[in-house]
Amino acid sequence: MSGWLGGWLLLCAAGVLATLGAALWRVWRGPARADRMMAAQLVGTGGVAVLLLLAPAQGWAALDVALVLAILAALAAVGFVKASTPDGAGAPEEADAPADPATDSARGDRDVA
Amino acid sequence: MTGTMTGAAALLLDLLLVALVAFAGWAALAGRGVFRAVVFFIAYGLLVALGWVRLGAVNVALAEAAIGAGLTGVLLLATVGRLERAGAARDVPPVRGAAAWVPALAGLGVTGALVWAWFALPLPESPGPALAEALPRSGVENPVTAVLLNFRSWDTLLEAIVLLAALLGVWMLGRDGDWDAPLGLRQHVRPGGVMAGFGRVLPPLGLLVGVWLLWAGADAPGGAFQGGTVLAAVIVVALMAGVATPPGVSALPLRAALVLGPGVFLGAGGVLAALGGGFLTLPEAQAKVVIVAIEAALTLSIAVTLAGLVLGPPTAANGTAEGGAEPNANGPAAGRRA
Repeated sequence: MSGWLGGWLLLCAAGVLATLGAALWRVWRGPARADRMMAAQLVGTGGVAVLLLLAPAQGWAALDVALVLAILAALAAVGFVKASTPDGAGAPEEADAPADPATDSARGDRDVA
Repeated sequence: MTGTMTGAAALLLDLLLVALVAFAGWAALAGRGVFRAVVFFIAYGLLVALGWVRLGAVNVALAEAAIGAGLTGVLLLATVGRLERAGAARDVPPVRGAAAWVPALAGLGVTGALVWAWFALPLPESPGPALAEALPRSGVENPVTAVLLNFRSWDTLLEAIVLLAALLGVWMLGRDGDWDAPLGLRQHVRPGGVMAGFGRVLPPLGLLVGVWLLWAGADAPGGAFQGGTVLAAVIVVALMAGVATPPGVSALPLRAALVLGPGVFLGAGGVLAALGGGFLTLPEAQAKVVIVAIEAALTLSIAVTLAGLVLGPPTAANGTAEGGAEPNANGPAAGRRA
């Protein structure tokens, strides 16, 4: 790989990383829990992108880290959905479970006091 | 010319990463609201994993991504939900006075000592002259695996046993009457829904990645702990999606899976000692076979142990374990607004 390409890849990785700053701002601001969690998911997705851009320069083992990030981010999403149901073990799409995280902001259910 | 551009881009990337890590860490500690702190902790783990990759420590990055951001994040999310269902979640007012600046000074002191150590200590050579000399005789090419499973395998053996002891500690939190019940909460989902489908799509992919990390760990970044954590995530997702029901603590397959890793490890040590080499002193010719066998058994045990830690102690029914007799009888919604 020629030198200029490596520089461009690093620059692109820095650009993606900069967008993660916006995601962190959204984690801070919220206001609903789903907003914060989705922003954390965005950090995970952006992290995968950064790793893919870094892999040619840092070594291809960075791709393994990207794979692990992708799988564990999915687990975090499942954990969030589970924890936000009434008994902590359901799914929002069940008819008897009204606690849909997507409607939290509509109900004004904000976790900041 | 191209060299300066690459250097400038790398510097920009690293500075951005440092700023984001510092912000995520500060926000996890400084903000109000437990849930926000947990989400920042997850984001912090993801960003630190990127930092480890930038430093060339891919083994550590894998562990941080899998354990720090992944499993611990799920554990903390479940804890927030549980606290709220028990009516125990509350926002603590910001700490002021001595209670704030004493820990802050202590933290600054540790940071200062680390900075001093960075400048005072000689830069370590990678992988170091002693390790570079011994590595060809270890049976594997990944220096981290060589240290963990060959040169310092005592540490790894004891770590595996500590993990098992931690799980036993969690099980002891279960109630006497619940002892024969399955582990964790009774999971339920809508049949054919998103969660049920997800529980069937993710596990095969995760299984592939987990086994790959174990196999790659001999000669490239990866290994038993990283692969085991991914497999633990697979187990947790499958159980949460209701694809399978968790076993009880007395289920023989569960107990066998838990002790397989430490058992094979101890057994290998004993056999090697009996053959005259000394406890866990691997003969050069068979080193790779022994290491891969121990790692494979360890991976299974680590996966089942970590999944058990996330699931929690045996629980007879969701209601009783969540404090049905507690004063907070008006349901989870009231707790969530606390």
